Amino acid sequence: MSTAVAAASVKKEQPSVQAACAIRLHGIEKSYPRGGERVQILDGINLDIAEGSFEALMGPSGSGKSTLLNILAGFDRPSAGEVTVAGTRLERLSDSALTKWRAGTIGFIFQTFNLMPVLTALENVELPLTLINLPRAERRRRAETALRVVGLEDRMHHFPRQLSGGQEQRVAIARAIVNDPSLILADEPTGDLDRQSAAVVLELLEKLNREFKKTIVMVTHDPVAGERASVIRRLEKGVLQ
Amino acid sequence: MSLSKLAVRGLLRNRFRNIATMIAVSVAVLTFVLLRTVITSWTTAADYAPKDRLVTHHKVTFVMPLPLRYVELVRQSDGIRLATYASYFGGQDPKHDRETFVSWAVAENYLEIFDEFSVSAQQKQEFLADKTGAMVGDVLANKLGWKVGERITLESGIFPSAPDSPWTFTVRAIYTASSSSVDRSTFLLHWSYLNDALPQARQNQVGWIATRTTDPKRSGQIAAALDQKFASDEVQTQTQDEKSFQASVLAASSTVLRAIATISLIILLIMSLVLGNTIGMSVAERLREFGVLRALGFESRYLVTLIIAESSLMALVGGLLGLALSYPLIERGIGVAIEQNMGTLLPHFKISPQIAAMALIGVIVIGGLVAILPAYQATSLRVSEALRKVS
Amino acid sequence: MIPIQYSLRNLIRRRANTLATAFGIALVVFVSSAAGMLAAGIRHTLMASGEQDSAIVLRKGSDGELSSVLEEELAAQVLSAPGIASSPNGRPLGTDELLVVAGMKRIADGNIATVSIRGITDTSFALRSGLSFIEGRAPRPNTSEIVIGKQMRGRFQGLEVGQSFELTRNRPVQVVGVFACNGSSYESEVWADANLTRNAFGRAGLSSSIRVRLKSANAFDEFRTALVKDRRFAMEVYRERTFFEKQSEGTATFIVAIGTLISIFFSIAAMLGAMITMNASIARRRREMGTLRALGFSRTSILFAIILESCLLAVAGGIVGAAVSTALGFVKVSMMNYASFSEMVFEFRPSAQTILSAVFTALLMGLFGGLLPALRAARIPAASALRD
Repeated sequence: MSTAVAAASVKKEQPSVQAACAIRLHGIEKSYPRGGERVQILDGINLDIAEGSFEALMGPSGSGKSTLLNILAGFDRPSAGEVTVAGTRLERLSDSALTKWRAGTIGFIFQTFNLMPVLTALENVELPLTLINLPRAERRRRAETALRVVGLEDRMHHFPRQLSGGQEQRVAIARAIVNDPSLILADEPTGDLDRQSAAVVLELLEKLNREFKKTIVMVTHDPVAGERASVIRRLEKGVLQ
Repeated sequence: MSLSKLAVRGLLRNRFRNIATMIAVSVAVLTFVLLRTVITSWTTAADYAPKDRLVTHHKVTFVMPLPLRYVELVRQSDGIRLATYASYFGGQDPKHDRETFVSWAVAENYLEIFDEFSVSAQQKQEFLADKTGAMVGDVLANKLGWKVGERITLESGIFPSAPDSPWTFTVRAIYTASSSSVDRSTFLLHWSYLNDALPQARQNQVGWIATRTTDPKRSGQIAAALDQKFASDEVQTQTQDEKSFQASVLAASSTVLRAIATISLIILLIMSLVLGNTIGMSVAERLREFGVLRALGFESRYLVTLIIAESSLMALVGGLLGLALSYPLIERGIGVAIEQNMGTLLPHFKISPQIAAMALIGVIVIGGLVAILPAYQATSLRVSEALRKVS
Repeated sequence: MIPIQYSLRNLIRRRANTLATAFGIALVVFVSSAAGMLAAGIRHTLMASGEQDSAIVLRKGSDGELSSVLEEELAAQVLSAPGIASSPNGRPLGTDELLVVAGMKRIADGNIATVSIRGITDTSFALRSGLSFIEGRAPRPNTSEIVIGKQMRGRFQGLEVGQSFELTRNRPVQVVGVFACNGSSYESEVWADANLTRNAFGRAGLSSSIRVRLKSANAFDEFRTALVKDRRFAMEVYRERTFFEKQSEGTATFIVAIGTLISIFFSIAAMLGAMITMNASIARRRREMGTLRALGFSRTSILFAIILESCLLAVAGGIVGAAVSTALGFVKVSMMNYASFSEMVFEFRPSAQTILSAVFTALLMGLFGGLLPALRAARIPAASALRD
């Protein structure tokens, strides 16, 4: 049974050990207007995540963990606070700069897989590579490599509807790593999978962390999934426990 | 919850799509009404011609003349009350050579038989008294800037005048018309003025003879009798009631009219595609919903009716919108321009009630028809299948 | 940029909607293309009637041969002007002709339609360089023999080689030949001896027009100046080509105007159809669009992908509509030619230009129809990948 609960981080400026710190959140708040009132989702989050770490973010529904993930990915902006991911201060970036940054830095894995139904597995994995100027042959090579890592190179010309749920998610993981991102964010990666497929996917994530030294932050409510991580943080009512 | 209320609520759901569809329907209806009005306006001259007026012209073609003496022979025939005559003058105003209008050289009693012109008694008197006088339609007079008392010259392609004595007229009367089916751009001059100036070889000829019969019911027989009279004479005639005459002139343009009619059907086809597409999508999104309703006990028949009602309602609203747009556009905007510039061809450019009704009914029927297939597809699913569909 | 397969395959995915919308666009393109082809056909037919280096003389102020009335004596004056080419027998290459219209019974529907009858001399044949007989022979002068243009064959009672009919009462004529003439308006005419025509239609001593072949196209000015110098000259001299071009413009422009007006209305309806289809398509793909943003694709790339989808849809429909419209090339339309008030046969003339502009119209429909949905799609946030 692994492991420890991290304490709320210390509010002191860390000097240029930025390299060791993949993510730093400082004083993050997020609220939404709803029906005339403001609903507070996140309430003063401070968080340091070290490079090469595999962290699970757990909590009941409504705790704000997805919102936190959104902010880490740059999908959303905090109402207050500073976000530093891989050495970049996100609040300073414009919307289009954020998009470009995201393409090169983050690999995202969704609960609902979100593969393009009209593209084959290989084409889906190639998709992030079309954002950078790569010759076609090189792009294909990298995509095939990624599919090999997740063990699905024999299905590369299949469409998502021809794959099982677990296989779809593995293709999605291949897509997430094909750009060699510094950070992998996963939102309930096993939420739509059965026990067996879930185990395979979690195996894969562990492998990515252990062998390929990828930093992974995973949001989940499944304790079995959480166990696979090296660090578990709990979020409750917008506050880190 | 009544059926109609449900149908209305259904329409309010995907507002963007339904409004866009209704706009498409309204544009289609607008175009349809416009095209159909062109057709009815074209053929309307035939509809408005009085039945007791006969036209006698050269049998081979109305372009060739009849001898003047035929007029008296016609007048004395059985069943004829009044007879008059006219020739096409083919006049053009050299100062406005782009404007084309119809000009007739008419007999003294022309206005007795063609009584649809509204003109003041005094002006009419002055026109009849002056051999070089002219009676002009108000639309034409306005366009060319002619006033009563003005002297004007015309050129004729059919009756060329010597270069030093052109055709000169004094405008003595300006007419309007009570019925909008009458062309208000016609130019009337005296036949006697024309005839006196012609070389002998071309004198004493008339373009056609128009008569009023004593009994409209016997018009056919009276016409046949007239033609019989001239069958062995110098020139053979053809006599028809005015309506048939106009219709035969029209038959020459039948191709154009048929093309316009076909195109008006094509727009309805396009409209059906848009409507059908929309209702198809709308039903496909609600398969689960309909499954739930059936699971609750609603009969398929009820749902089919609901879907058809929604579709027809959407079509109806679009159709009403299209009609609402077409009245001002056609009767005030385009219609006025057409009546002024193409008045001889399309004199009465108004939307007939039959067209409006045809458009509305057609639209409702189409709305219903395109909904039938999706409706049956939706309700033929087994309830268990329907419940499994994603929203 | 998002790969093109994405746009293409999404169209194929929603087959029924795509087909319905594309079909609507195909109809619009068909109609506008047909109008363009008919106008081109009219222009071609009427323009082919005018020779490069010929001139035509008509009454001043008349807008066509039918309304032009010339005294027969004027021909001599015109033929003595300078600049006229000579025929093999040394005489000036020109003649006067008389154009009348007559009512004849159409075989197809039994209705009476007006037919152009041209009173000619044997010089008339020499003046039309593209004329050739496809059946029979030329008529002998001063006889009741007539020939017909190839479009008239079989259209009316009595118009076949070997048949005869009454031109007017007690004036029988016999058809001895059928001619073709470059697809010009002459192919819709009946040609009879000039004097026969004059007597039959009560036009003794009159003509409609005088045609001459000039020594060269440049001789026109010399020819015209010599004639209009005479103040009493009540005629106008035109280059044949220019004259017929003007005539065709009226009808052709009318058709194009009507065609354009109708196409605009049709396009609006079809475009709305495209907009509805595209909108529904992206509404069902919210999560997908969000994912693309999450992966790092810019708003612009999504905008382009959707507009591309819409344009592909429209152009596909446009190509089908244009392709089908070329089949009209086999259809002949017999229409009232308002310039001569007689029935003339026109063809639909497909050309690369009509097809290209038709497809371009489709492209525009796709562009404008897809614009609003594309803008909506571009605004879908990355977070939709998670939420929706």
